[in-house]
Amino acid sequence: MIRDALVWCLAAVAATAVVAVVALAARNRALGAKKQQSEAELRRQLHTSDSQLHVSRAELQRFRSEQERTLREAKEAAEENTKAVLKGAASFLQSLAAEQTTLLDGIQRKYGGHAVLSDLLEVNHANAQMARKAQGIAVMCGAPLGRRNRPASVYDVVRSAQGQIRNFHRVAIMQQTGLALKASAVAPVALAVAELLDNAASFSQQDAPIEVTFQRIRNNLCIVIDDAGVSMNDEDRQRATELLSGDVVPRLSQLGNQPKFGFPVIGLIARQYGFTVDVTGVSRYGGVRAVVLLPEELWTMEETPQAPEAPVSSIMRNEGRPQTGAARTTHGLPKRGARQAPIASVPDPEAPRSAPRAPQETGRASGRSLGAFQRGTLSGRNPDATSLEGSEDA
Amino acid sequence: MPDEPEHELELTSPLVPLFVITNGRALPPDHEYEHTTLVMAAPESAAAARTLSPEAGQVMELVADGFLSVAEVAGHTHLPLGIVRILLAQLEEDGLILVRRPIPRAERVDRELVSAVLDGLKNRFGA
Repeated sequence: MIRDALVWCLAAVAATAVVAVVALAARNRALGAKKQQSEAELRRQLHTSDSQLHVSRAELQRFRSEQERTLREAKEAAEENTKAVLKGAASFLQSLAAEQTTLLDGIQRKYGGHAVLSDLLEVNHANAQMARKAQGIAVMCGAPLGRRNRPASVYDVVRSAQGQIRNFHRVAIMQQTGLALKASAVAPVALAVAELLDNAASFSQQDAPIEVTFQRIRNNLCIVIDDAGVSMNDEDRQRATELLSGDVVPRLSQLGNQPKFGFPVIGLIARQYGFTVDVTGVSRYGGVRAVVLLPEELWTMEETPQAPEAPVSSIMRNEGRPQTGAARTTHGLPKRGARQAPIASVPDPEAPRSAPRAPQETGRASGRSLGAFQRGTLSGRNPDATSLEGSEDA
Repeated sequence: MPDEPEHELELTSPLVPLFVITNGRALPPDHEYEHTTLVMAAPESAAAARTLSPEAGQVMELVADGFLSVAEVAGHTHLPLGIVRILLAQLEEDGLILVRRPIPRAERVDRELVSAVLDGLKNRFGA
């Protein structure tokens, strides 16, 4: 009985266990399916948000670049506007300074014998510095540089540049050459050299010398400027080279409160007129060596033609006096010299000249007697009687 | 005045300003290097003259062979008289020229005195 009862019990337990196992398996399967389903759902959602994120990112990027472009355009427009305004003003200043220089030169010649001349020279010096600044601003704004229409010796071009800086007497030009710059290169090279000299003067001690030498290297003419200031560090050098190449043109607004537009101006005109400027060298005084390298298109071996002094020489020649070539200067003025013929107050009848000579002749006669008087006083004052005055062949 | 912004300015003033030619040196006192002062190149100055500026070189060339007055030097060089006087002062300082000042006023015969003497003689001896 007991055994039967046990067997039944076992059977019942087994049946219950089987049922339970079956039920659990079924539930497990159902759970698995559900899990897969929700995983798939989650994956899909993740995917969607991923792509949404991508879209938003791209959009954000687009907005950003658009904003940057707008900002850049606005800055450029502002720069252009500023330049346009300044360009007009700078051109005006530039032409006014040039006009004033011409005026001052005339006044200096007019009052050349007067004590006011020394003040006029100082005024002209101040004016030359102002003209340089005006030219610099004009170049930065894209206005054309003033031009000269006559070639000049490279020596005179450097002297012109020398006059455009404050402490110009510190500049020593070491030798003269027979080399001349073509007319188109005169103004830009003068401005570039002036900016380099100004730089050399500002970055060295008050009384330190600035030396300018000329060198011909193959087909190039080099203007070498040595200062005794402090040399530049690598960063400065790199920055200077960038600016001088004309590749990097800083905005006007980037120039700062005390604008240093020397190097940007040099870079712009060097690129425009086809020469190069380098300041990476070390001078023999341990300062900076600046080299302006002019290719052969900008200079010639020719001597510079003398500025025509037409009025004087033409007046002298038209008087119809008998010309003795050797006794005249290049400008047509008579040179003093020992007289070869006896002094006569009577006109020479053999002089090959036409009728209307009488008024000139009387003038000449009185001139002769005055001349004889002057020569008398001169010979009286001269200790060695052999050489009186300038010789005839001088 | 610029009429249009693109007008290219033509620079007509002399390239080398006068104050560079004088190297910033001040005018000598009025009584030095008057119009009639005579100047002449010092002996053995030719070598040193070669290193001078073109303008000073031109002056040296003019006075190389004999005395010339300051006014004439100014006329020949086409430079203002004051500029020539500054150049001459520099050249004399460097010992490149000899300078002969005109006879000072006081040493000249006083015309009034002479005529007074003449009048006195006429009065005394009757003429």
